[in-house]
Amino acid sequence: MDYQRSKAQFEEDRIDELLELIWMLREEGDATIDNVKKRSEDPQAGHIINVIEASGLISSDHGKISFSEKGEKRAERIIRRHRLAERLLFEVFEIEEKQIEDPACELEHTHVLSEVVVDSICTFLGHPPTCPHRKVIPRGECCRKFSLEMKPLVVPLTELQVGEDARIVFISSKYHARLDRLSSLGIIPGSIVRLHQKQPTYVVKTGETELALDRELAKEICVKKIMPE
Amino acid sequence: MHNHDSAVVKPGEKIAIVGNPNVGKSVIFALLTGRYATVSNYPGTTVTVTTGSYKLGGKDVQVFDTPGVNTLIPMSEDEVVTRDILLKESVRLVVQVVDAKNLNRGLQITMQLAEMGLPFIVVLNMWDEAHSRGIGVNTEKLAAAIGTTVIPTVGVEKKGIKELRESLSEKRYSSLSISYGSLIEDGVERLESLLPDSRISRRSIALMLLAGDESLKPWLKDHLTPSEINKIELICQDVQGKFYEPLGYVINHTRLKRSGKVTDEVFSKYQKGGNTISVNLGRWAMHPVWGIPVLLIVLFLMYEFVGVFGAQTLVGLLENGLFGNYINPFMKFLTVVFIPDSFFRDLLVGEYGIITMALTYSMAIILPVVGTFFIAFGILEDSGYLPRLAIMVHKIFKLMGLHGKAVLPMVLGLGCDTMATLTARVMETRKEKIVVTLLLALGVPCSAQLGVILGMLGGVSFTATLLWVSIVILVIFLVGFLASKVIKGESSDFVFDIPPLRVPVLSNIVFKTLSRIEWYLKEAVPLFIVGTLILFTLDKIGMLNIIEKVASPVVVGFLGLPQKATGAFLVGFLRRDYGAAGLFALAEAGQLNPNQVVVSLVTITLFVPCVANLLVMVKERGFATAIGMVAFIFPFAFLVGGVLNYILNMLGVEL
Repeated sequence: MDYQRSKAQFEEDRIDELLELIWMLREEGDATIDNVKKRSEDPQAGHIINVIEASGLISSDHGKISFSEKGEKRAERIIRRHRLAERLLFEVFEIEEKQIEDPACELEHTHVLSEVVVDSICTFLGHPPTCPHRKVIPRGECCRKFSLEMKPLVVPLTELQVGEDARIVFISSKYHARLDRLSSLGIIPGSIVRLHQKQPTYVVKTGETELALDRELAKEICVKKIMPE
Repeated sequence: MHNHDSAVVKPGEKIAIVGNPNVGKSVIFALLTGRYATVSNYPGTTVTVTTGSYKLGGKDVQVFDTPGVNTLIPMSEDEVVTRDILLKESVRLVVQVVDAKNLNRGLQITMQLAEMGLPFIVVLNMWDEAHSRGIGVNTEKLAAAIGTTVIPTVGVEKKGIKELRESLSEKRYSSLSISYGSLIEDGVERLESLLPDSRISRRSIALMLLAGDESLKPWLKDHLTPSEINKIELICQDVQGKFYEPLGYVINHTRLKRSGKVTDEVFSKYQKGGNTISVNLGRWAMHPVWGIPVLLIVLFLMYEFVGVFGAQTLVGLLENGLFGNYINPFMKFLTVVFIPDSFFRDLLVGEYGIITMALTYSMAIILPVVGTFFIAFGILEDSGYLPRLAIMVHKIFKLMGLHGKAVLPMVLGLGCDTMATLTARVMETRKEKIVVTLLLALGVPCSAQLGVILGMLGGVSFTATLLWVSIVILVIFLVGFLASKVIKGESSDFVFDIPPLRVPVLSNIVFKTLSRIEWYLKEAVPLFIVGTLILFTLDKIGMLNIIEKVASPVVVGFLGLPQKATGAFLVGFLRRDYGAAGLFALAEAGQLNPNQVVVSLVTITLFVPCVANLLVMVKERGFATAIGMVAFIFPFAFLVGGVLNYILNMLGVEL
């Protein structure tokens, strides 16, 4: 790889890093230039902000940063890559939460994971709504189609066979009350469940608690099978 | 920091028993106070607070038995009750009952109690059950981890109760604290500065508010200005805005992770708990295929015990034997001798006499049936079969727009509709509560009535019984279906805790049956006497004849019944089982043919159960809703009866 190309790539990566940071600050409700400078590891953060503002990716008003449409799209793709990468490392390789940050950072850049690959990962993981740190993963084209052509690693509880053990990976419900109710009964990501029956309702056992669930809820609980040793 | 044992009891101080559903709070309550609170093996037996008293340091301390909760952030009406006791009462000590084998779930509440800053001790109940599953809990380690006293007990065997009594004078504050991460902690801090002083810590209230606890609103309104409440709401929204998932869920998640850690440290599984008979039986009872024969066997045994032994054998012995051969002739003899006036004689032993009608019906016809039913039902309740039944019929209820959880109040209705109407509190949405209340009032026959009906139908034919059952079920289904279409609102999710199948404890069955019979005698028998007096008076002043004539187009014309049945319907307005008993007597006297028996029974089954039930409906659902239901139910009952009569005639069916 010639020097010019890798230098350009390096610059692009720095821009990506900052866009990612701005996105995260925005999630926390505080996307200001000051905060970016404070939190960025890039010593020249101020300079890069000017560069990306000049290239029309962001705009600032009294120190508050907002994305342009183009910038928003680009940042969203970075975040999606990063967080899906985290999920992948966490679920498939079972790398601890603390140790997944660095490799995920490497994977987030366009030249590493193409759009098609990202969608495949997303499908493989069962279209997770959040990363292991429970931050939202922006949806991609594949999620809207909810394609299941590839045999995914993470499946809804309804796909399990009776008698199988599985670990809950995420619960993709949009109803707050439902999440509250389930969590109060011990159904949260990380819990191990065994499927006892599917008819007339789903019955799962977690710890020493046996729970009956309607199919509608079981569909939203996404799990990864635990292979018997 | 805090003094550990302040044995001085201040006046008005209370002890509250809290814990997850179905962990044995009521058992512990009864052992401490000597008062019996209904104990069963399914979540949600206790929906209101029972109070009793306990001698502590020479003074009487009030003890509360509270409805079970999974978290102190309430999601249904009964759960609000529990949280409000902690929030509003002067609680000296909280006794948290935990199911030893489900420690993990209990710890969620432990953490919340610690956050509230209330003194509490932990009772690890059902210690034996954990043991039989090969689970051991290191109580010393646990006590150290949560920073309070831990006492292992087996409530039903009274084990560990002495130790518990000794610990009640302590006042230990837990040292447990959890951090929820900087974003939430920041929100907590901001909220704390706005909150008023109360019996529980500001931190715990702040966390409840962040978790989106709607039920705190009235309390906030009492203590803060609208602008302060507004600020609180803004803070909550602001913190929630930083999370994708609801805050309540994030908070629960953090607690569960922590409790999981504690559990891992203190739990030991020393053997692989094999599948015992009760585990297998429990599985079969809700199996898609085997569950059906199990259900049929249960129904058959119930029928044999209540329908045959209770309603035929015992009723025969009491009604014809005791009352028919001895008491009534003897009383008639006595009255002839001692009461010369025929008016007063009739009042006691006439056609509508207190002894010959009210007491004969209530003691000889209904009591044996109710008694046997209560025994059978108690066994069912304590075995843990009812929640499994809820699973078996969940799909049918779902078609109706309700879910399996609604089965519990409906099945309880077979015992007593009035009590069951109270149990509707476990339903989470207003819509579900209304539909359940309506169906209970309309279609679910209570034990007293069921007994009389089975007794009558048993005398006719199996086909007649089947026809009655099918029609009542069909009506319940249709009305339920339409009501949940008409009444606006959401249905809640079906997530449901299944208790293990257990061998019922004899003493509990005896207690429960006796307290239910006592209740029946106190509540139903007086109404029977009132009903009889009304009939007697109407008869004497000649009104009964007039009413029979006026009602004749409906009773005789539309329903195709003899005029005499009017009296039965009349008392049916007071208690439908009494109405049914009147029909029973008519049928025995040979005045009803099989078709008429079925038509009259279907009609009376669809009446509002009793006056007490009506009062509870008004109290629970409001006056307007209750009256609306009544206005629908009575005409509808006659309509269904009439249509049935018409169809039977049209098809020329002779049962």
